[in-house]
Amino acid sequence: MRTVGLDITRTGWVTTFQDLGRRDTERRGVPTGGAADQHSAAVANVLVGNPRDATLIENLGGELAFVPDADVLVAVTGAPARVTIGGAPAASWSPLVVPAGQEIHVRADLALGARNYLAVNGVFTAETLLGSTAPDARMGFTQALGERVLLESGFRGFRHSHFAPPLFRLPVPVLPCAKEGPWLVDVVESYGARSIPGVRELIADSSYVVTARSNHVGLRLDGPVLHPDTDTEIVSHGVPVGALQIPHADELIVLGRYRSLTAGYPIVGVASRASLPLLGQAGPGRELRFRWVDRETSVRRSAQREDEVRALERATAEAFGALGFAGHLIHP
Amino acid sequence: MTTEQFTAVTVEPFGDSAVMVTVPHPEQAIRRTAIVAFRERFLAHRPPGVLDVVSGLESLLVEFDPLQTTLPHVEYAVRLLAERPPVHEPLRARTALRFAVPVVFDEETGPDLASVAEELGVAPTEVVEAIAESTFTIALLGAAMAPMMDGLRVPRPVRRRAEPRTDVAPGAIMIAGTNAIIQPFPGPTGWRVVGRTPYTIVDISRPEPVSFGTGDVVRFVPVTRDEAAALGADFLLPVAEVPV
Repeated sequence: MRTVGLDITRTGWVTTFQDLGRRDTERRGVPTGGAADQHSAAVANVLVGNPRDATLIENLGGELAFVPDADVLVAVTGAPARVTIGGAPAASWSPLVVPAGQEIHVRADLALGARNYLAVNGVFTAETLLGSTAPDARMGFTQALGERVLLESGFRGFRHSHFAPPLFRLPVPVLPCAKEGPWLVDVVESYGARSIPGVRELIADSSYVVTARSNHVGLRLDGPVLHPDTDTEIVSHGVPVGALQIPHADELIVLGRYRSLTAGYPIVGVASRASLPLLGQAGPGRELRFRWVDRETSVRRSAQREDEVRALERATAEAFGALGFAGHLIHP
Repeated sequence: MTTEQFTAVTVEPFGDSAVMVTVPHPEQAIRRTAIVAFRERFLAHRPPGVLDVVSGLESLLVEFDPLQTTLPHVEYAVRLLAERPPVHEPLRARTALRFAVPVVFDEETGPDLASVAEELGVAPTEVVEAIAESTFTIALLGAAMAPMMDGLRVPRPVRRRAEPRTDVAPGAIMIAGTNAIIQPFPGPTGWRVVGRTPYTIVDISRPEPVSFGTGDVVRFVPVTRDEAAALGADFLLPVAEVPV
């Protein structure tokens, strides 16, 4: 292992350390938090030989660039982005070597997705709160990147001839951020739908647009809603990530990983786990449509996604092994 | 706390990876104490695949990994734990911690004191007395680990503000209904702000950012501005352990 410095030369609107979130802290009032697009974050780590939940860099909007002072193994995932290394185009969703002194530059198109994840083989030197490096703005834990970040890495470059076939051909489950048309989000109905007759049909038939008032607590959507007839008070309670909440105003809110207890609004459904990564990429202006699915279908999609990531883990372990590494490059 | 209070629980599926547990009972107080007792028991006997729980005032959200367990399994475990007291459950040997929180109650630290007094038909000093004479129990840790407490003894429940405040200082003591809460970080609130403690309630630089937990007992001790200044922003620590 050696210490590598990354000079951060450009950051986006919000550029932070990130991971998959806190464990076992919701019972103590601290939301799990973590990457809004968990799939892209996990895949970025797998592509560089890290454990899925290793700390990486999340970039929301704008550009991200850095120059390492030693060769590093990097992967960029999330929203479709233009990636260059030393000015030459490079692929996202793939392991990349950034040579010492060269700049890697990531420029995303906000119209295609909100967040990029940049994983680097190794362990970032980052502060933790309750065992996680994920920021928590409410608790004053911002995790903004400084001008230089440090990393402990065992990466020493690959033994690879220029004349050999491409280094990797990996089964990468790329998150589909379609350019045109609405994104389709699967939703499982919950009890609140029963208290509002017709809301299920209305949501299935309508289209919703993400507004600029959205943040890490929730996506606020413009579109038709219905309210319950009764004004029975709903006592504050916990809600899952992805809950579709109808506040008093005429809007729909999809709660994110930093949600807290509800203020007592009806929850008509909960987005399927397999749909959450896409919601993490939905920026202002994005059109969404909802499709009701039963719980079994929802879990099956989640299982498919998990199988894909596992297949990638096996393939990267093999590829890295063939290049002279025994399995994963680091062991937590 | 008796165990038969929650022999029947309601388990409501919530999305593809959570259920919400409630204890149906006409009396609010029983619904609330029963769900706290159930939570303790559930966490002590956490079924495989359960990731975390989120406490509401009268509910417990149980979050699980649907690839490690299934909804019927979780539901079954919940009902089993509710109906059959586990054999190894300790005989309520848990000790709660007791906290004495110094609070400055004046017009500046408690901008809602006057309106609460008016609403209750008493003088502002009597509101302060009522708060100081109440013994609070921490029901749950709310947003950013804020201790949400039950036990405010007032003639009738205190209403929330019609117009929420947008920026309340850390350490603010706030009340609503028969609950009290301490604001750990600057932020918005719809609760009525009645005082402020100089102490640091949540310190994120510590491995354990708070010293309190569900079931702990809190009293508010009125202090003057000078006394508060002398105390400083020390991290809130318990004064004693009390058997429950």
